[in-house]
Amino acid sequence: MPGRRLVLEDDSNILSEDDEESLPRPKTARAPAPSVMTIASQTGGPMNPQKRTKRQDGGSAGFVVETSALTKRFGERIAVDNVELRIPRGSAFGYLGPNGAGKTTLIRMLLGLTKASAGKMRLLGRPVPEERGVALARVGAIVEEPRFHGHLTGRENLSVIAAAREPEAHDRIDAALARVGLSQRANERVKRYSLGMRQRLGVARSLLADPELLILDEPTNGLDPAGIHEFRDMIRGFVAEGRTVLLSSHLLDEVEKICDEVAIVDRGQIVLQGSIADLAAGGKQTILIATSDEDQAIGILSAHRGVASAAREPEGIRVTLTADSSGAQDDISRRLVLAGLAIRRFEPARISLEQRFLEITSRLEEAA
Amino acid sequence: MSTTTVTAAPPRTRTQAHWRPRLVSAELLKLRKRRGLVISALALTILPMVIAYIVLLSLHAANPGKHGPAGGLANLSGSMDVLTTLSTVAAILVGATLGAGDLGSGVFRELVITGRSRIALFAARVPAGLGLVLPIVGAGFAITATGSTVFAGSLEAPSASLLVESALWLGLVTAVSLVLALGVSSVLGSRGTTIGIVLGWQLVLTPVLVQIKGLGSLRDGLLGAATYRLAPAALFNGTVVPMSLLAAALVIVAWIAIPLAAGGWRTYTRDA
Repeated sequence: MPGRRLVLEDDSNILSEDDEESLPRPKTARAPAPSVMTIASQTGGPMNPQKRTKRQDGGSAGFVVETSALTKRFGERIAVDNVELRIPRGSAFGYLGPNGAGKTTLIRMLLGLTKASAGKMRLLGRPVPEERGVALARVGAIVEEPRFHGHLTGRENLSVIAAAREPEAHDRIDAALARVGLSQRANERVKRYSLGMRQRLGVARSLLADPELLILDEPTNGLDPAGIHEFRDMIRGFVAEGRTVLLSSHLLDEVEKICDEVAIVDRGQIVLQGSIADLAAGGKQTILIATSDEDQAIGILSAHRGVASAAREPEGIRVTLTADSSGAQDDISRRLVLAGLAIRRFEPARISLEQRFLEITSRLEEAA
Repeated sequence: MSTTTVTAAPPRTRTQAHWRPRLVSAELLKLRKRRGLVISALALTILPMVIAYIVLLSLHAANPGKHGPAGGLANLSGSMDVLTTLSTVAAILVGATLGAGDLGSGVFRELVITGRSRIALFAARVPAGLGLVLPIVGAGFAITATGSTVFAGSLEAPSASLLVESALWLGLVTAVSLVLALGVSSVLGSRGTTIGIVLGWQLVLTPVLVQIKGLGSLRDGLLGAATYRLAPAALFNGTVVPMSLLAAALVIVAWIAIPLAAGGWRTYTRDA
């Protein structure tokens, strides 16, 4: 049911041709001269913060992932249903949905691990699977739990993967290990690694591609709170470097804390897509007001043409503005003050992504 | 704070090089770091030859009248028979590990994510497997060849041409067994099942089927029959299944090509 999809996009996040000049550029299309990535690392730190020059390589597309009517069927069951996904470059993008919603299946199709039943995909501007080799050269990914050869050391495991990538990937092994804080344990066999260390090694392996796009599928599964915190910082660090991170998760809180943009997926379909701020606001402008006389305030608010609804709540009056309510907030505050009311609270109301998610999914259940 | 600089060059397109020795080196690394596998291969090839010649030398030293010299053509023939069988087992172990190792550990998915052609990933396994098993089998053969020549005493020593011919034949049998196991394990995705099936076929069923004359020309298609047709006549007297050299060569080519094609196809099409 593609018509059920709601799209909320902040204009500031839609990239114009002019915007591309200031964007990190994909290396696939740049001039042959090598770019230099500078990594500043704190020796001994568990996750080494890095500074990296903005990518100067060329490129054109504003989206690192574009899908059109992408569908995957397993017999009668549709795991991914007509998905239209656009992931803007340089963002942390959350792909959020309950278990079994089709998140991993979509990622597996993007990475060429399984074939799509129908639809089209573009990865870093390249059509896949036609040009998946070139596209994936600049993509790093962790799908579900990262897997390794237990009988090899961490460094040897990276070496195996580097052999399948461009020759320069071998030169990135030390820096990648340092970045995830595994330099000291790199020569130990992976079968002795903890789950957290394996996750970090998985990230190091992803960095061998010098990725423009990092796809992380449920990356914090099994991590302790400290590990989750480190992971969040690391992901934000990648975005700060100009990389794009696609984070698939069923943990709303995690996505809300890490991501700038989000797509909510349910039963194989994207039901909502937009910036976290827009989604949390529910697409409507809502403000919370507390005054010295709430009855009088409600009377004033109800009479205002810019107000769609005003409801009393424990923390004040929740005021939902109409769509064409530009300047309404200023006018409302002026009227309340002129009426002699003391304003104790006047702020944009914000609901959590979790509330929004539950609101959407319950609406879908009612529709179904 | 320390600073590390990494130079990131543009990726090379996949059309520039479909097959690279780096991939072969990586496969070889995965194999040679499996201690159990390497020890098994050594134990199957080098160790029996060392033990055999120590026993033969000891017997000859203890009672020269009853036990002849440890070397010579007859002892080469006997030790080659054992070495061929055990080299086949070693090759099957290595081939099965090659075909199913990445799948079993889940690393096949990680390799596919690199964008590297699946066919290139599969193709790299063949030289890697041969790179491990042939030197080990070669070392076993070197012990046999040296022992049969140095300790020939009064017996006829094998000629240089016979030794070369024997080495090439042993290499062929080992290589074909490896490719067969690699292909089957790439199709099945299971090391254990592959070892059971291929060992059973090569070492149990084939010798039985070869002996059933009622099968007629069907026996010509057996790998064991074809490889023994090419064996040095001085070592193995008489051919079990009579066939032309060309027919034997074609059968061997088919036993190489079909498993490789099947394994390559399955590697290409399988969900990672």
